[in-house]
Amino acid sequence: MNRRAFLMTATALPLSFGFASIARASEALALLLPPWSTLTKETTDKYTKDTGGTLNIETLGWDEIHAKIVTSMVAKTAPATGTEVDWSWVGQFGAAGWYDDLSALLPADVLADSPTAAIFTYKGKLLGVPYNNDFRVLIYNKAHLDAAGAKVPKTIDDLLTAARAVKAKGACEFPIGLPLSASEGAATAWYLLTKAFGGDLFDKDFKPLFTTPDSAGFKAMQFEVDALKEGLIDPASTGLKDTEVQEVFKAGKVTFDLAGWPGNLAVYTDATKSQVAADAHAALVPNVTGKSRSFGLPGAIGIPVSATNKDQAATFLNWLMKPEVMAANYKSLGLLPTRLSVLAALSKDGTLRDGEVLAAQAAAAEPLFAQGTPGWYSEFSGAVQTALNAAAKGQIDVATAMKQIADAAAAAQQ
Amino acid sequence: MTFGMPKWPRTGNWRLSRDARLGLLLALPVVLIMGGLVFGPLLSSLIDSFYRIEPMKPGTPFVGVKNYVTALTDPTVLAAWATTGVYVLLAVVIETAGGLAAALLLNTITVGRRWLLAAVVLPWCLPPVVNAIIWAWIFNPSYGLMNGILRTLELTAVNFVFFNDRTTGLALISVVHAWRMMPLTVIILLAALQSIPKELYEAARLDGATALQRLRQITLPLIAPGLAIALSQSTVFAINLFDEAWILNGAATDTRSITIQTYIAGFQNLKLSLAMALSLLVMVVSLAVSAIYVLRVYRETRFE
Repeated sequence: MNRRAFLMTATALPLSFGFASIARASEALALLLPPWSTLTKETTDKYTKDTGGTLNIETLGWDEIHAKIVTSMVAKTAPATGTEVDWSWVGQFGAAGWYDDLSALLPADVLADSPTAAIFTYKGKLLGVPYNNDFRVLIYNKAHLDAAGAKVPKTIDDLLTAARAVKAKGACEFPIGLPLSASEGAATAWYLLTKAFGGDLFDKDFKPLFTTPDSAGFKAMQFEVDALKEGLIDPASTGLKDTEVQEVFKAGKVTFDLAGWPGNLAVYTDATKSQVAADAHAALVPNVTGKSRSFGLPGAIGIPVSATNKDQAATFLNWLMKPEVMAANYKSLGLLPTRLSVLAALSKDGTLRDGEVLAAQAAAAEPLFAQGTPGWYSEFSGAVQTALNAAAKGQIDVATAMKQIADAAAAAQQ
Repeated sequence: MTFGMPKWPRTGNWRLSRDARLGLLLALPVVLIMGGLVFGPLLSSLIDSFYRIEPMKPGTPFVGVKNYVTALTDPTVLAAWATTGVYVLLAVVIETAGGLAAALLLNTITVGRRWLLAAVVLPWCLPPVVNAIIWAWIFNPSYGLMNGILRTLELTAVNFVFFNDRTTGLALISVVHAWRMMPLTVIILLAALQSIPKELYEAARLDGATALQRLRQITLPLIAPGLAIALSQSTVFAINLFDEAWILNGAATDTRSITIQTYIAGFQNLKLSLAMALSLLVMVVSLAVSAIYVLRVYRETRFE
């Protein structure tokens, strides 16, 4: 082989491998999902058996999925045929016009059975099919409470009393589990506590409602900082994300997963995955008004406008919403069904531990933004994360944190 | 020696030789890659940075230098610049001092140097994310090795949460970054050290020079070009520090570098043109620092 032929062969070979891999990848439906939604092999095998299609699932962290979608869509390419669409991205993605309207994709009865679809509707367009019914609920370790002779808390004061009792009895060193790192999970926990203290983040004109010391948002952050100082929250929480707090709960090292994910009960109560399987229970989020409040953070799968293979994606989404598939995903991954009929069936047959509690909390779950998630949510959330983290570290006081968040919200709205 | 335009290797009028054509053909991929993936996007980013490019807002109006004004006046961005300055200072000092010490030590070792060198180079081979995750485990407040050591030695009764304190956080992130990048400094300086004629040291010893005098009068001046290259790469990599700060302390403002700020502006807040302006400013600062080092080396080493 002469030099020229060698060089041409050397150039052509890697390219041929590249094209071959692209061709192989195009056969399967490409999905981009977070770790907690990555379907198990049993489920993907069932999909193949039911539909004849195959899935090529790419798993990325929540933040990374957002970054990948943004990068791809700005470049007018699709990161996958179906991608995770978080409730908090709806404003951004809707304003950018990046996702197909899926209103006509599902049968009317399925849509009517999935009220969380409203959260993914932007100006009349359904940007994602909701498959993961997430809201926030209190999850507690019954053994810790029993050891301390404490009751399941119904109010914020009850919660503090129980946590102090558990700590005093030595059942748990840091009873309250709350993420305080500069992460989305920390921000959503503060939103929940704001509702627990009987308030909201914004008025109808998106004016902040958390800047004065008597406001719910202010009290919520003060509660977090004070509980941390008192030793009811692990000081290491300033570096923990919500998923890491869940691991700590599973290890029996906290009593309350205060901003618990309802679907996680399936994991917490699985003895192969949790050390507190017998003791994990759900309760309504404590409050100060006598009425428990929570908010919805469901997950959906959407189809980017620039995606190919959309027919296969439509087949997959219809299959994903089947009752038996939703039930299987709850058992294997803890993905709480978005269809009310499936939720009721799971509660009735006893699969859903504390099903009545979850149903009651689901009924009390509101959208975080009554007007719909705004496009500037990411900027606002980023400000919440960093201000809360700085306040927890003692670098700023709560009043300063609130002012920083309000200023950031005002700037983001311009 | 004469200088002038190179002669075109021609076989006829304006016809390139077979080898020249092959040479151009082989150079073509580099030209295309650099043009398509570096210079093209650079020019595109420069142009776009004068517009408002935010996918959530309609249109892309011309905004002049507004993005650059924001990049140089916004308090959060200014804080990120200041934090990056601290990283650069600490990382460059640690890498240069540690790298020089390690290179001097390796230069004196003759038996098993290759194995030692392989061990020293190992951190540099690790992907930055892997490196940062390993250190995140070490510094973990609950189960980390560092707290374990401190408790075993009875230096503390309670676990430290290292990143609750800004100064400690900045120092630790700089150390983690330096731990990964120092091997490159070691290799550069070791190569420079090995090029120094041993006769110079023998002559100095005969003249009664101490070890410190030999270091100051012989070693440092003769490794100056290598030192400048090492300083240049240390500085540029520290200016671009991202992975270590992101993994060890997330988006926290107290340890947020300018590249993290750029990432947040672009990929979280979708302010793409502001992120482009920030990226270009980071590049300009990196180039400026490199130019200072390179010009200084050129002045000190050029042949008159």
